Amino acid sequence: MNSTLTPQAVLDRAESLRPKLSSGFRDEIVKSLYAEVERITRRSVKIGPKKKWDFDQKIDRLVTSPVLGLLIMLLILMAVFWVTIVGANVPSGLIADFLFFIEEKAADLFTNIGFPWWVTGFLWHGVFRGLAWVIAVMLPPMAIFFPIFTILEDLGYLPRVAFNLDWLFKRVGAHGKQSLTMAMGFGCNAAGVISARVIDSPRERLIAILTNNFVPCNGRFPTIIMLATVFVAAAFPPLVASFVAAGTVLGVVLVGVFFTLLVSWGLSNTILKGEASAFTLELPPYRRPNIGQILYTSLIDRTIFVLWRAVQVAAPAGAIIWILGNIFVGDLSLAQHVADFLDPLGILIGLDGVILLAYIIAIPANEIVVPTMMMVYMGVGMMTDIPDLGSLRALLVDGHGWTLLTAVNMMLFSLLHNPCATTVLTIYKETKSYKWTILGFVIPLALSFLVTFLVAAIVRLLGGG
Amino acid sequence: MNISIYLLLWLIPLVLLMMGVWFFRSGPGSRWLAGKKINQRQLLEDALKLIFNLQQDGRPPDKFRLAVELKLDLPAVQALIARLEAQELVVAQHGILSLTTEGQRWALQVIRAHRLWERYLADEARMPLEKIHSQANLREHHMTVEEVDSLDAALGYPARDPHGDPIPTAAGVLRDLKDRTPLNEMKPGQRGRITHLEDDTPLAYAQILAEGLYVGQLISVQENNRERVVLSDDSNQFVLAQAIAENVSVHLEAPKKTADPSIIPLGNLPSQLQAEIVHIDDRCQGYTRRRFLDLGLTPGTMIYPELENPFKDPRAYRLRGTLIALRHNQASYIWVRPLSNEIQ
Repeated sequence: MNSTLTPQAVLDRAESLRPKLSSGFRDEIVKSLYAEVERITRRSVKIGPKKKWDFDQKIDRLVTSPVLGLLIMLLILMAVFWVTIVGANVPSGLIADFLFFIEEKAADLFTNIGFPWWVTGFLWHGVFRGLAWVIAVMLPPMAIFFPIFTILEDLGYLPRVAFNLDWLFKRVGAHGKQSLTMAMGFGCNAAGVISARVIDSPRERLIAILTNNFVPCNGRFPTIIMLATVFVAAAFPPLVASFVAAGTVLGVVLVGVFFTLLVSWGLSNTILKGEASAFTLELPPYRRPNIGQILYTSLIDRTIFVLWRAVQVAAPAGAIIWILGNIFVGDLSLAQHVADFLDPLGILIGLDGVILLAYIIAIPANEIVVPTMMMVYMGVGMMTDIPDLGSLRALLVDGHGWTLLTAVNMMLFSLLHNPCATTVLTIYKETKSYKWTILGFVIPLALSFLVTFLVAAIVRLLGGG
Repeated sequence: MNISIYLLLWLIPLVLLMMGVWFFRSGPGSRWLAGKKINQRQLLEDALKLIFNLQQDGRPPDKFRLAVELKLDLPAVQALIARLEAQELVVAQHGILSLTTEGQRWALQVIRAHRLWERYLADEARMPLEKIHSQANLREHHMTVEEVDSLDAALGYPARDPHGDPIPTAAGVLRDLKDRTPLNEMKPGQRGRITHLEDDTPLAYAQILAEGLYVGQLISVQENNRERVVLSDDSNQFVLAQAIAENVSVHLEAPKKTADPSIIPLGNLPSQLQAEIVHIDDRCQGYTRRRFLDLGLTPGTMIYPELENPFKDPRAYRLRGTLIALRHNQASYIWVRPLSNEIQ
């Protein structure tokens, strides 16, 4: 052993040799690695006849062709949404009926045993009802949407969508795969944020995470659909009303896409200017999906995972809602007091205090915005729904002075406002940075206030509202 | 009422867009924000860097030059020099300033941070070259030695910044690069490789970049007279005014080394035509280059464009049995030699 060979000596020697390396030595290392891989492959892998490739190539030609390719893409996306929304209606109703039946019986039981009213109310009409509501609204669409989405992913079709749409995202400094994280966001923004992992370039991944919220998720869709049906479509004859409603929802989604692109562009040119970036997109061969695997990943990894996080935050929210609705100071409930306090701010942006209150309470889960709003409007002690659209319209327009401006602004606010608590938590887990988490919350919030304020101000200037 | 709401749906994006223009990039809003950030330490570091650069260029640093370059009035410069002297970073003799050992060490540290950041912004963040200088000016300050060292390590100890200037080592050694002949001193017929583009005069630099010249490019001089210098890289011709040409430095090379005309960028390869990868362009560094190598885009690999998307960009290429999509601007960094056989 040479006694002078200390670790420091080795490091110093390495330091002195480094400048003599040619600039391409990394390329040479990778090249030799690949040469070795090729040598092993030649020895051990037999390549079969080339038939199968041709079939793949034919499909590729078809799904990326200028007219047909885009048409196929649109049809598939629309089919996924239609199946999700229509297919979820019945199970949602069944689950809600079942869980509310349990609530009613359990509350009766508690009353009969002799618990004070506030224990029964807090536990069953507060905590349990909040949970039940979130599960009933959230579970069925997710259980339908995620498996379908995973099948498309497994088939190998989704990377082709990213390939087709990249031109749009390239212009705003983002990655084509952001279209996939956005599509995932329709199911759940938290899942959309997680799915941004497929983007390997740090800057584009952050853009996808921070803008995912501008795609309305399953929890917000019912609100937008309800408003579109009750306020916009109601002004049209019944024959075209459902088309107008669908068109309005589509319009809201497009506004969301517009803001996604706008904010992506803004981010990539300001805050994210110096983050690392590269574009590559692998197009894997088409494969037959493994159904067992899909059911497992989409149910356990996505649905149950997202549901569990939502449940964790929905239970306390249910408790708070019940407390606000049942503690009275003077003649009014706490909820009413808070709503009155928020009213000026709400009016300023074309909404009202009750809507703002509902959005604050609904930070844990957007599903409970409308039931909370109804609770306060009707002055009852628990979250409520009005299934009949006619009486709903009567309550909002005649009872609480809603106009078309209120409805449009609430749609915009619902689309743009801050992400729910689950999504915020997920942003933190994915980025491990307070800075990005705070930005992910503040940017949408500021934008939602700004946009609704401008809409309200200009409509009022023009003499409407 | 109905109409006004729909009108608004168009108006809001417009207003936001205008706000965006005001605040983003070099809008007045963001410039105002950037201006507020300048503080005392930054000023001190800028002064040290400036004095070092003036000494390097053989121009004696005095308070008037500092006032001009740092955009300060004379009393402010005098206060600044007093501070530098008090901290024993600078000594003044007959009005000429020179750096002490400590001052020089600090100046080199700032220059090292600046050039490493330029490398990072060009390679990893893929920012346009004409923008990296100002961004690096913001980032070079308030860095500890450890932070600069880890940036150096993360970038793989680069020797030069994207303009071709040497990056000082951790020990404070500024490698002297003697391979610089100014372009306007070259004779017609001489060949060489561009080693340095001066970025101190932003206008000239922007014009050089707009012409399409880059560090590492192999060029030959075709014409050099009082009005202009004409160059060629065997596929394009570049015409520069003398005042612009003096900002380009070249390492002279033997005339026999000619660029191979059969080599084209992958982005220009016709669809379905097989080609062999020759090399990845030197301009493509950092994250993108690593991704390319990871995906197997190594010299000698066979590749052909298989799929075009509805909007022509990106295209998908088949190599080693896998299909990989690349945008046109990235594919232009990969040089290939087309082979005659077409893929059926």
